[in-house]
Amino acid sequence: MMKFDVVVIGGGLAGMTAATALQQGGLKCAVVAEGLSLSGASREAYTAAGGTLLAGDRVTGGTIENGRLVSIRTEKLGDVTLEARAFILATGKFFSRGIVADMQKVYEPIFGLDVQYDADRSTWFSPSFAAPQRFLEFGVIAEDGCAVRNGVKIENLFPAGEVLAGLSSAASDATAEIKKSALAAAEAARRI
Amino acid sequence: MPKDFDVIIIGGGATGAGTARDCALRGLKVLLLEREDLASGASGRNHGLLHSGARYAVRDSESAEECIKENKILRSIASNCVEDTGGLFITLPEDADTGYGLDYQKTFVEAPSVNPRLIGAVTVPDGSIDPFRLCSANITDAVLHGATVLTYTMVTEFILEGKTVTGVRTVNTRTGETAEYHAPVTVNAAGIWAHGIAELAGVVINMYPAKGALLVFGHRVNNVVINRCRKSADGDILVPGDSVTVIGTTSTRIPFSECDHMAVTREEVELLLREGCALCPSLANTRILRAYAGVRPLVASDDDPTGRSISRGIVVLDHKTRDGIDGFITITGGKLMTYRLMAELATDAVCRKLSVHAECKTAETPLPGSADGRISSIIKRFPGKPTAGQKGAAGRQGDLAGKIRFDNPADCALVCECENVTLAEIKYAVSELGVRTLSDLRRRTRIGMGTCQGTFCIRKAAKALAEALGDPSLADKLAADYLDERWKGLCPVGWGDTLREMEFMQRVYKFEKPYSYDEV
Amino acid sequence: MQERFISANNFEQCQKCSLCETVCPVMANNPAYAGPKRSGPDGERYRLKNGIFFEDSLKYCLNCKRCEVACPSGVRIADLIQQARIDFARKAPKLRDLMLASTDQVGPMASAFAPVANFALGLPPVKGILDFTLGIDRHRTLPKYSGETFVHWFRKNAASSQAAFKRQISYFHGCYANFNYPQLGRDFTAVMNAFGIGVNLIDERCCGVAKIANGMIPAATRDAKHNINVFRASVAAGRDVITVSTTCTMTLLEEYPELLKVDNADVKGHISLVEPFLYKAIASGELKPVWKEGWKARAAYHCPCHQERLGLGIFTTELLKMIPGLELTELPSNCCGIAGTYGFKKENYKVSQQIGKPLFDSIKAAAPDFVVCECETCKWQIEMSTGVTVKNPVSILAEALDLEKTLELNRS
Repeated sequence: MMKFDVVVIGGGLAGMTAATALQQGGLKCAVVAEGLSLSGASREAYTAAGGTLLAGDRVTGGTIENGRLVSIRTEKLGDVTLEARAFILATGKFFSRGIVADMQKVYEPIFGLDVQYDADRSTWFSPSFAAPQRFLEFGVIAEDGCAVRNGVKIENLFPAGEVLAGLSSAASDATAEIKKSALAAAEAARRI
Repeated sequence: MPKDFDVIIIGGGATGAGTARDCALRGLKVLLLEREDLASGASGRNHGLLHSGARYAVRDSESAEECIKENKILRSIASNCVEDTGGLFITLPEDADTGYGLDYQKTFVEAPSVNPRLIGAVTVPDGSIDPFRLCSANITDAVLHGATVLTYTMVTEFILEGKTVTGVRTVNTRTGETAEYHAPVTVNAAGIWAHGIAELAGVVINMYPAKGALLVFGHRVNNVVINRCRKSADGDILVPGDSVTVIGTTSTRIPFSECDHMAVTREEVELLLREGCALCPSLANTRILRAYAGVRPLVASDDDPTGRSISRGIVVLDHKTRDGIDGFITITGGKLMTYRLMAELATDAVCRKLSVHAECKTAETPLPGSADGRISSIIKRFPGKPTAGQKGAAGRQGDLAGKIRFDNPADCALVCECENVTLAEIKYAVSELGVRTLSDLRRRTRIGMGTCQGTFCIRKAAKALAEALGDPSLADKLAADYLDERWKGLCPVGWGDTLREMEFMQRVYKFEKPYSYDEV
Repeated sequence: MQERFISANNFEQCQKCSLCETVCPVMANNPAYAGPKRSGPDGERYRLKNGIFFEDSLKYCLNCKRCEVACPSGVRIADLIQQARIDFARKAPKLRDLMLASTDQVGPMASAFAPVANFALGLPPVKGILDFTLGIDRHRTLPKYSGETFVHWFRKNAASSQAAFKRQISYFHGCYANFNYPQLGRDFTAVMNAFGIGVNLIDERCCGVAKIANGMIPAATRDAKHNINVFRASVAAGRDVITVSTTCTMTLLEEYPELLKVDNADVKGHISLVEPFLYKAIASGELKPVWKEGWKARAAYHCPCHQERLGLGIFTTELLKMIPGLELTELPSNCCGIAGTYGFKKENYKVSQQIGKPLFDSIKAAAPDFVVCECETCKWQIEMSTGVTVKNPVSILAEALDLEKTLELNRS
């Protein structure tokens, strides 16, 4: 077991924004980043502030007790879990597999969080490539900034960025919104 | 009677292209009219299976004989379009109590992904055939022998003198320009659209549009064709075609109004996937690139007005004897791999009308690009060590790849990295192969047919094509049209890795940045 | 040309995003290399169709696996490339490659004549001859061979005292610690013994990484099978296998099943790098370190590429952060450019040094007392290129621990 103040899942724009803000604010953070979607400079700013980066690792699951996420497991660390007071979920949409679609459903693959999507697949796509595409709106549901599983809030797990329903950088230029949601999640994590 | 040509051929599919070539080789002055692009209808929307004929051996020995005979001919004249993959007929426990001819070692070496539950496997001389290359090669040879080929030219009306067709009126579907062409004989080789063409001349042909849906998987899971040894059913043939694997087909009667707007349904996708997994279980985890559908031009026998006895055989109709309209022939039915025989029969009919006595040479004369079908020997002709782009071009253009100008280093850059297509090959296709749109370019070069379905190359390709066409301002429109076409094939299979690519494609094209480089 | 039909790799999860290309150290420095995306997943589709589409330029891949760390789709890009090289690169390895790859055969000979070998390997005429005849670059400082191998030292000085410890492990020292740097093996033995753990040598052979890189697959497979059998016996005797080399570890854990098709599933959970082993045991209170009073150092940690791929670098940094007197900074993630035997080859020398430059610059800027790194070939490259000493974390522990007090505390 390794202990941090906040563990951020996802090393994209939302994850690194939140983690860098928290780390520079004096908290001990870890970022688990499957794939490096940002330039090296943003990672270096974070590690220079003393942040821990688990690059190329993947979160495989977590332990949720009494509406709180206690710890997470990763592929590479095996039986060593990462514990924290708060967690930020910044795993993005379909491309980065923050949410996954199979033939039957759309789901959040790490914790099985509640996801907003249309069960009727025929509404997902517009036949015109350039028209708005419904599937880009899908994502996890947040209640008061917290993730929700089976209708129950997980009080210390905060989704940020494109994993959220209604936020997609493929639908519109969402850079500012993604950063805003990341900073809001960081603030919520800091308060815990 | 004004006469611009000896013969006008309507339809740029395999039959039309083959007929144009045959007529041109026999010395006729040919005009071919295609309302879209070569192989844009059923010719380009099938398995690409070079049948051995085994499937028809029991119930339709005539078709079976046609198949195996044409199979051998195509191997020798169209080596660049045909790949000698070989095929297997496999028996699964649910199909029969006993299977035949199973040689475990050989079967699993040739087809390692095949369902290991099989109880029988028989080898057949199947192969794969690339319909785009095939049509293009026939057209290239026709043009070499004096034919005129006009794509994006739709026939709107026949010119009749009394009860004789003497020409056609056309409209260019891109410019709106109209024209008239005259010839003593017109051949209707429009596939399922032959029905509508015949109507323009006041003739009725009983056709039955049968939609066949197919799925394309991202890579080759076997290097042999796999057939299911059971009564013909949906989704029982799996063909390795170029860099991908194709499963098909379904068979559904559809109204004529749907022929131009076919969409693959969720039920069809599920059925094909289920049947595909019965042939090769690993397909459940293989990326599906896209779904598409074609329309078989099935024809009812003339003496059966009910349309029950539908034949898949070749139908040649001389409308003078049948309907009292002279100067007009319809060639239909058949299948992709009997296109040459169909063309021969149609050309024979044309020659009879024109009283021309010339022998058919298409069974012996190799198509352009097919003089040497082996990539290994074609690439030796390039100076120095062949590049990925040159190897790719040799595979697609055959020995004509030698005509591609690789001497400018800037032209050697890959535009499509999935299929190894260079700028040089694009320029060649535009100047030599009648390319007008990015979909045309795709049919000539496989550009955008790979894993990313154009996500990475289409901007570059659109720019290159627009410049080669002499109007750089066309680029955005070319790309937009192409993306709509790709999107249509992606939507029916939009889940898993395919959906990931679709999200990525949206982001790349809307914002021109594949991923965020914003500094935190 | 050999035909293949199935790729076990999940290469179609590749979305063509090209992130791998942005982190590939070779692509940035060698225009002849087509890059990981084209050499890996893109090329694989065409190789499955026909072996003629195999590209020679795959040989430029230095197998650093940075592409795999960067890939958001989990595609084993470098494995695809190595596998294709194994399947299609049919040319017999050159004498030079055989010599560089056969670390456990050349090693004993060189060690026996170490003074002569080292003297000769350092002489300009000899380096010129190596350069000309074998294609080993003359600018390269060759790793020195030690006069006494670690194994020889261990048998003479340590073997007899190991049985006294209540806990026992097997030590996979690797070729480097044995032939080139026995001090590392001695440090390892000292640290383990201080924690009350007895060290056992096993009948190990070279992990095979150099043989794989140089196309000697049958030999590598034989060695892999031998090693796995030896590990099985060790595990059956209740002794986990502890390693010090990241590259050996990656080979034993990942490349055996992926590339050599040697199954290691039953022993995989019992093979561990020394840093995670110690971190877990100290963090759980199982082992209790006593640090030397007043020991102080400023160190910069360079995470070797294969450690990044293993994803275990966090154990090294967390372990080192336990040392009170150590001021540790982490260097920005970069490849040093040597990649095992790659950088020794004349055709790769220049590119190798270009690749390493950002790392060398960052080391010079940090100006630490020494660099910390788990990898032996990184050590050669960094020491040769910057003049800064590179120490293995185990050697730092051996320095910073009060070995006697630690032993007292852990004995009880």
